[in-house]
Amino acid sequence: MTQEPVLEIRDVVKQYGDVRALGPVGISVREGEFLTLLGPSGCGKTTTLHIIAGLTNPTEGSVSMKGRDITALEPPQRDMGLVFQNYALFPHKTVFDNVAFGLRMRRVPKPEIKERVERVLEVVGLPGIGSRYPSELSGGQRQRVAVARAVVIEPSILLLDEPLSNLDAVLRKRMRLDLRNIQQRLGITTIFVTHDQDEAFEMSDRVILMNKGGIEQSGPPEEMYDRPESRFAAEFIGEANLVAGEVVEVGQGELKVKVAEAIFTAPAGKMTVAQGDRVTVMVRPERVEVSKTPISGGNTLQGKVSSRVFSGDQVSLTMRVTEDLELLCSKPSTALYRGFDIGDPVWISADDCWVLPRVDTRKGGAA
Amino acid sequence: MNTSGRLFSTFLFSPIGIVYLLFLLAPIGFFLSMSLFRYDAFELYVPALTTENFERVLTDGYYQEIIFRTLKIAFLTSLFSLLLGYPLAYFLARSRTQWRGILMFLVIAPLMSGIIVRTYGWIVLLGSDGAVNKTLISIGLIDQPVQILNTETAVLLALVHILMPYMVFPLFSSLASQDPDVERAAGTLGAGRIRTFLEVTLPLSRTGILMGSALVFTLSAGSVVTPALLGGKDVQMLGQQIYDLVLTTLNWPLASAVAFVLVLCQFSIIALYFRGGRHGPA
Repeated sequence: MTQEPVLEIRDVVKQYGDVRALGPVGISVREGEFLTLLGPSGCGKTTTLHIIAGLTNPTEGSVSMKGRDITALEPPQRDMGLVFQNYALFPHKTVFDNVAFGLRMRRVPKPEIKERVERVLEVVGLPGIGSRYPSELSGGQRQRVAVARAVVIEPSILLLDEPLSNLDAVLRKRMRLDLRNIQQRLGITTIFVTHDQDEAFEMSDRVILMNKGGIEQSGPPEEMYDRPESRFAAEFIGEANLVAGEVVEVGQGELKVKVAEAIFTAPAGKMTVAQGDRVTVMVRPERVEVSKTPISGGNTLQGKVSSRVFSGDQVSLTMRVTEDLELLCSKPSTALYRGFDIGDPVWISADDCWVLPRVDTRKGGAA
Repeated sequence: MNTSGRLFSTFLFSPIGIVYLLFLLAPIGFFLSMSLFRYDAFELYVPALTTENFERVLTDGYYQEIIFRTLKIAFLTSLFSLLLGYPLAYFLARSRTQWRGILMFLVIAPLMSGIIVRTYGWIVLLGSDGAVNKTLISIGLIDQPVQILNTETAVLLALVHILMPYMVFPLFSSLASQDPDVERAAGTLGAGRIRTFLEVTLPLSRTGILMGSALVFTLSAGSVVTPALLGGKDVQMLGQQIYDLVLTTLNWPLASAVAFVLVLCQFSIIALYFRGGRHGPA
């Protein structure tokens, strides 16, 4: 990781009149990395991508590529391939001419264009459709043509702007793997924008979670899921039980937090807290253990099953612990977990828990 | 489509169908048959089948010249309307300015005053002591007033002005319906502004270009008042010929033959445009 980043954006701000849409944010991207900008709509992820591509000028800050400042360059001078959300294929050109466009602009000799276009159509799994028009293709095929058109010019960076959002659910799942495979085969540095956490997790080496024009947190998917740094991150990514607690003891790399009448032990994380601080304890629903027989020890609570939802592969149990404390637990629908009924007294343990601040503070940030 | 669906769409088409039948096809049929009758100085026409009217229109040098001039002026009018209208339509379609509404209004504005009024306006501007000549003299570009009135230039100028909305609106709608990401995509693939325009924007606005050109061509080919007032007797076009033949000379069979030739020219131009428009699935 000591290697120089392929792309670096520094202190970038985008201002529309009095409204700050983005920033200041800083992002650096490593060679060959699959990086995802994840966040709800309006979080600034697409603006960031457009600033990288040169389609939007940042109000402040700089973008540099391989150490060269490219902030002032127009899109044609930047070495990037962009796949648009609606693909933006040229409707009046055949698939071949669509894909060949970037090569023609670079004055690549004709025989080489033919060879490279045919090769890239092969890579995206669409050999032999060069003579068709975009209107004659299915959504999934158009999407692949858009990817082919962007990568055939062998850009230093491939930018993907929600390229899967216009596909139906089944196709979307398949395209995730396909896109990731294409990316790995070409070894191309990729920045992917999405609001879909599953997409982000399945495809990326690293995820940058954005919110309100700033970066909430960044890291590999596992880290984002296990160790969110804010309530927003905990709730946006996956499901989370967020429970109010109070710090009773600050130990070596460990915190003791009082939740209801129980004492929870949790890793200290990066947060600086003192005794008496009010915090939030996060437990992922699949990491909650339930038992009909008493469990003793730390991180345990006692409650009653208040609802039970069976959804095929999973069973979700909601358990009421106190008047204002409910916990959700989701488990594979094996016989073991089907046996719980509403009203059953249960013992709950949550060894795998994580402490968050009670209130989120506004972030800018860098990743 | 099932039978009731077909019945329903027939029902939807029937009002305009009846209007077309009564006021377009019937008159065309009427003057088509009239064009095959023989002119008679006392009875106006005698219903005897003859091709002499068409022979005269197509072989007489006088009519040949007028047909040629009509097509030339119609072609030049659509060409200049296109060249002047395209940048305007492009600006209207792409810009986010708050002036857009006002500009749109200004584009339609020429349609709101009567054609006679507008044409007299041009006479005032283009006359030998009109505003145009005075300006040219005062900035020292010319010493003597130049003849603009009663030339093809005057007719062309006025037609381009009057017919501009018919060019701008089809262009505007085809430009505004383009996905702006398609142009951006061309940019990210390495095309500069000019290449993007030539490779993407222009071909994608073909429908608008064809539609606008066809409209302006047919309207200018059929114009009567503008060439009559601004072209004078030197710039005769088919429209005035028909007018004169019907109302002054009272040679209805010949007028019908001239009219038929004009309609034929317009239809074939429209057909040509739309054959061009059908090419490729864009």
